[in-house]
Amino acid sequence: MALKGLDIFKLSPKKNCKECGSPTCMAFCMKVAQGAVSIDKCPYFSEDAKASLNEATAPAMKTISVGEHKLGGETVLYRHEKTLVNKNLYAVSVCTCMDDATVEKKLADMAKIDYERIGERMYVEFVFVANNQADPAVYAELVKKAAATGRSLVLECWDVECAKAALAVCGKDVILDGATPANWEAMNEVATAAGVTLGVWAENLSDLYDTVKNLEAKGNKNLVLDVTGKTAKETLANAVLVRRTAIKDGDRTFGYPSIVNLAKLAKGDDRLQTAYAALFTEKYGSIIVMENMTYAQALPLYGLRQNIYTDPQKPMKVEAKVYPINGADENAPCALTVDFALTYFLVSGEMERSNAPVNLIIADASGMSVLTAWAAGKFSAGTIKKFFDENKIEEKIKNRTLIIPGKVAVMKGEIQEKLPNWNVVVGPLEAVQLPKYLKDKEYESAVAAAEAERAAKAGTVQEVVKELSFEELLETKVPKIEVVDMGVKYKGYNPESKTFVTIGERIHCIAPAIRKAMDERDPAPILERAAAQIKAGATYLDVNIGPAEKDGPERMMWAVKLLQENFNNVPLALDTANMKAIEAGIKVYNRQNGKPIVNSADAGSRIGYIDLAAANDAICIALCSADGIAKDNEERMVHCDNMLERGLSLGMSSDDLWFDPLFLVVKGMQDKQMEVLEAIKMFSDKGLKSTGGLSNNSNGAPKNVRPIMDSALVAMCMMQGLTSAIVNPNDLRLMETIKSCDIFKNHVLYSDSYLDL
Amino acid sequence: MSFAPKTAPYSGKINAVTLGTGDKAIVIGGQNVMPFYTFDAPIENAPKIGVEISDAADSWTTPGLVDFYAGCTTMAERAKRAETMEGADFLCLRFESADPNGADRSVADCVADAKAVAEAVSMPIVIMGCKNMEKDGELFSKISEALQGKNILVMSAKNEDYKTVGASVALAYGQKVGAETADDINLAKQLNIMLKGLSINPENIVMDIGTAAVGYGYEYAASTFDRIRLAALAQSDADLQMPILAAVSADTWSVKESTASEEDEPAWGSQEERAIDMEVATAAADLTGGADAVIMRHPAAIATIKKFITELV
Repeated sequence: MALKGLDIFKLSPKKNCKECGSPTCMAFCMKVAQGAVSIDKCPYFSEDAKASLNEATAPAMKTISVGEHKLGGETVLYRHEKTLVNKNLYAVSVCTCMDDATVEKKLADMAKIDYERIGERMYVEFVFVANNQADPAVYAELVKKAAATGRSLVLECWDVECAKAALAVCGKDVILDGATPANWEAMNEVATAAGVTLGVWAENLSDLYDTVKNLEAKGNKNLVLDVTGKTAKETLANAVLVRRTAIKDGDRTFGYPSIVNLAKLAKGDDRLQTAYAALFTEKYGSIIVMENMTYAQALPLYGLRQNIYTDPQKPMKVEAKVYPINGADENAPCALTVDFALTYFLVSGEMERSNAPVNLIIADASGMSVLTAWAAGKFSAGTIKKFFDENKIEEKIKNRTLIIPGKVAVMKGEIQEKLPNWNVVVGPLEAVQLPKYLKDKEYESAVAAAEAERAAKAGTVQEVVKELSFEELLETKVPKIEVVDMGVKYKGYNPESKTFVTIGERIHCIAPAIRKAMDERDPAPILERAAAQIKAGATYLDVNIGPAEKDGPERMMWAVKLLQENFNNVPLALDTANMKAIEAGIKVYNRQNGKPIVNSADAGSRIGYIDLAAANDAICIALCSADGIAKDNEERMVHCDNMLERGLSLGMSSDDLWFDPLFLVVKGMQDKQMEVLEAIKMFSDKGLKSTGGLSNNSNGAPKNVRPIMDSALVAMCMMQGLTSAIVNPNDLRLMETIKSCDIFKNHVLYSDSYLDL
Repeated sequence: MSFAPKTAPYSGKINAVTLGTGDKAIVIGGQNVMPFYTFDAPIENAPKIGVEISDAADSWTTPGLVDFYAGCTTMAERAKRAETMEGADFLCLRFESADPNGADRSVADCVADAKAVAEAVSMPIVIMGCKNMEKDGELFSKISEALQGKNILVMSAKNEDYKTVGASVALAYGQKVGAETADDINLAKQLNIMLKGLSINPENIVMDIGTAAVGYGYEYAASTFDRIRLAALAQSDADLQMPILAAVSADTWSVKESTASEEDEPAWGSQEERAIDMEVATAAADLTGGADAVIMRHPAAIATIKKFITELV
């Protein structure tokens, strides 16, 4: 639970001694509340005060470990608020009331459910062993059988002697579900002595609450609450109220994981138990006890659980490998796509419907969708070639037809070049078109054409290209730059100035006109967009040349020279997944108006861009994310610190790392916007510079609304201390807002004509 | 010291929408609490179950379905039989065969079917099309006209065709109209605003916010349900207070768990049992998220979900 600065201040020494580095105790407490500084920085905070603060900042719901399993630890009621942490686990119940044969069959059937789904082992994690008789030996005998399965156990046993006997014959990965308002003291001793988690049950929530209080007073906080009531309705009420009281009201007495026993609520009705299990997967069951677990039940229930407990900010990935569909063998054609789980399910489902054998090749693309992965350089001819080599696809499959997704038709040429033994053809744009495409073999004519082309090529002698140095490339591969008068002059920039830095985003390969111009080295469309942005007052121009795997260095050198020679050495941000290209661009870059910007590093696979910037004395945009969007500001700040440390250790100035919180789209992540704004404040409080693709916030909003949203957000961001943004400078409203904010921030002296400057 | 739960209804309330006429008319929506949170306030109208009757039902091979509809040859006969199903509250006529890329049945034939059903049954009727926008537009308009006065629900108007569908179904013929979006809360709200902008009364709108079979990207559906319900109740967002209908069977009967034969997946056991549990789990998840009505296919699955609802409300 987050504490407010004022709550901490109440406990502070209020000396204003400044020894912590903050001017006042109040300022210090505010920083502690934000997590920006540790409370230990203050030498005068009393141990008592610290203890009560730790208590207050402890999570509302405890994480209980049982063997290798973790239960509870949730911080939100709904997954979209952040994420759910520890998935619910399943138990199958056996009872002393069953005969041996029944028990053995149940345990044997349970063990059959053991399979993998998207990288996760699906099996019944617990055996629930119920006791309804008084002979300790009888119960111990049953517990022994259950323990022999190797699964963790829940021992439902309210008889102290039986519980002792049971614990003597099993391991430590056990929950003793035995405490009630009547026996809690004795059961507590049994569980504590054995070092196992204690389950608590009561007739109603009020009694349950009191019993937990009693147990906590005895020092036992290793608890699980059995919330099973007399009916499903009562059980749902218990489960929701317990969780809500803990998380929403912050009452830690109910901050424990739960057990719901469906074997009691729907005895003998497996289908109704399936329905209830779905309910309690979404609504707060930590261990769900079933009478049986068949494949018919497991397949939907484990699928649901995997979905619900997916982190909303982390893409779900499937394993990158070859998936033979409809009994495909080495002679079936191949189709390629990315490892984003939804893409996989959609594509494989449609392929199955075609009844045609296909080898579906799933390449590693960091769990992104096809277009996103392509734009990020995670799904390129190079990564595909690497994947084919590492997995020896060419040896495994004899058929040489390779169908690529229609959305990345642009990659066809490059893939064909990297995989010269294959016939690369472009498949349909949408998955729904696949059944017809595969059934009618619509790819056949394209395959024939590709085959013919390869045959023709094979006749000509391939010249061996040696790798050229940047100087040689510049000499031979970069067209001479012609300076054209575009009627605009870049007015210069002083890197010492505090004014907001706008980085114009419009020279980007996502735009077809720019992509074509880059491919053909056609200056006109690029100069046109550059001139318009400079005229509108852009400080820097971003130059995105696309993934540019093949000819990145000469492309970038050409673009840098083209723009700088035409526009008075306008400063540039170099933007591509090809690091060599950035290096080449910097070689020909003129620093008259500021250092080049490397766009961009992150705390994950692109951490090396910081090294690149450091080695070339460039500014580096540092995206505070690693694998997907950071889940909260704590994670953002960890990434920030890691990248800062790396940059500083390589001799960079902290001013040359511009931290990007990653702006999120309102349509979809509306509830995360304030968090991004808070992150900017945290950068600013550390004295760091910041930037980012601010207009991402309004992606998908109507054209007339976007400038309004962008302007409102930039004003809020500048208030938080944002120092730069990657924007469309031709958005007049946005640029006027930025200029006005620079006035209020006292970065520019006011004059009536300030908007025209 | 003892525990007193904090319980209270929200100030926002889901619209109560009536479907059908006469004794068998049903009301969906009307509650001011999260799904099945009877401890916060009583649930006014229990969620309802619709039986899917497809015009392609001839091709159904699942034994339980074949047995149940034994002897039925027309949609009207099936509909009449479906009325006797334990747990059925309304009927959903799905005109899959109208698809121009499929069997391309004529609009006239479909309308004749719908009319025959309407004459044979007394339960409320929901219409689903073939997902071809052009054909559906014509189909929806003609069926709405032919069944005037029956107070049917037509699924659905989408962002691309809400003007024509909304105008014909709801304005010209006074039927209830569905608003269909795919796991996108912002678009769901926008579509409702646009339909209201056509002067359609909010009490005549039902949402289909998109679902999926569990295991198949269901996290998007689950969070869309949660967010829409919280906006409607906690923020009193009148543009999201329409009741929600989830077309469960359309999703669950086409996934591998339901379609793979026992020869192909010997470890998995009975194919029919798998299809039933897939339908049960998905319907239960949708109802837990906030569906006010679900459309289902298998009699055993429907009986189970009926029991589920009865136990929880």
